[in-house]
Amino acid sequence: MMVNSFSQFESPVFLTIPLILLALILPWAFYPSRLHDDSSNRTLTLQNWFIGRFAKQLLASSTPKVHLWATLLVSLMLYIISLNLLGMLPYTFTPTTQLSMNMGLAVPLWLATVLVGFRNQPTLSLAHLLPEGTPTLLVPLLIIIETISLLIRPFALGVRLTANLTAGHLLIQLIATASLAFMWIMPAIATLTSILLLLLTLLEIAVAMIQAYVFVLLLSLYLQENS
Amino acid sequence: MLSRVVFVSGMRSRGPYMLGTGLILYMLSKEIYVINHETIAALTIGAIAVYGIKKFGPDVAAFADKLNEEKVAQFQEVKDHAMSSLVQAIENEKKEQWRVDGRSMLFDAKRNNVAMMLETNYRERLHMVTNEVKRRLDYQIALQNLHRRMELEHMVNWVEKSVISSISPQQEKESIAKCITDLKALAKTTQAKATA
Repeated sequence: MMVNSFSQFESPVFLTIPLILLALILPWAFYPSRLHDDSSNRTLTLQNWFIGRFAKQLLASSTPKVHLWATLLVSLMLYIISLNLLGMLPYTFTPTTQLSMNMGLAVPLWLATVLVGFRNQPTLSLAHLLPEGTPTLLVPLLIIIETISLLIRPFALGVRLTANLTAGHLLIQLIATASLAFMWIMPAIATLTSILLLLLTLLEIAVAMIQAYVFVLLLSLYLQENS
Repeated sequence: MLSRVVFVSGMRSRGPYMLGTGLILYMLSKEIYVINHETIAALTIGAIAVYGIKKFGPDVAAFADKLNEEKVAQFQEVKDHAMSSLVQAIENEKKEQWRVDGRSMLFDAKRNNVAMMLETNYRERLHMVTNEVKRRLDYQIALQNLHRRMELEHMVNWVEKSVISSISPQQEKESIAKCITDLKALAKTTQAKATA
């Protein structure tokens, strides 16, 4: 039952079984492992091509130490992009709209990049807190600002993903409700609203893919900075 | 059996479409499925999906096929390369075997060469020896000829000397006077022939 507009984002529970687990495991079914190298399945070929291209593009300009994170980053990207795109279908639940899940992804990974940096090259990691060529008077202020910017990164990562997807889903729901409401009263307005919904859905599909990419890209950048 | 009746009756299989329509109308009329905002969203997504697949489907399929072709071509190339290198190895082996067969011919040819060289050398030496012997014999002949000629000349000189010495002065005068009278007579006859 529609209590308020945000009720679509409640974690679904069916007979006290949290269905979010099912939603989280579902993308696993879409990426079968490469059984044989000579399999000529079109879907698998395209998937492998996409994964190869993405991995190469993400890790092209990085040291071999960063390449240790390749599996994690590529699988994270695939996971988030499939969760987002599956959420575009009707009557589905998108786990990435839950702030808890996104923070659960962002905070440990960001913390790992920072700790890796501090462990391997502490001086260089601390040196990132002060950009080159700042006037001497501004140094204390700038260090404080850079520290705050460093500490706010996980929140930015998590909240960015959550906010984008939540806003998108919310807009789709509102405009679809408006279109439905107008359909019996003023069909012309309903048509316009439907066209708006079409454009918005296109945007949302793009946003779903871009947000996943941005998440992983920023993580790889933080890693390269600290590696 | 019922499914066969439902689905296969008639020339075109209208069964599934009838079932689908009936189900949808049933669920709508009984409000088992309620039309809400998600329906509109589903229609929108469905339209986008259908449009995307219709427009980009063949290109994407061709691209995937091309990737598969490249993969198969790579394997094929490896296989072809291996096979061609093996065929090349077989040819090389056959050539080596032919070479080994021809080895005895090579030895024969070399043996012939060596024999010819020895023969040539022998003939050269023989020739040289013959020439030297001939030269020495020619020298002896020339020596003998020289001896004979010198003897001849000496004998002729001795004969001349003795003849000249045997001629007395009286005989010499007589012979000279006779020669003069002969010459005069000859001159007269010649003159007479000239004027006649």
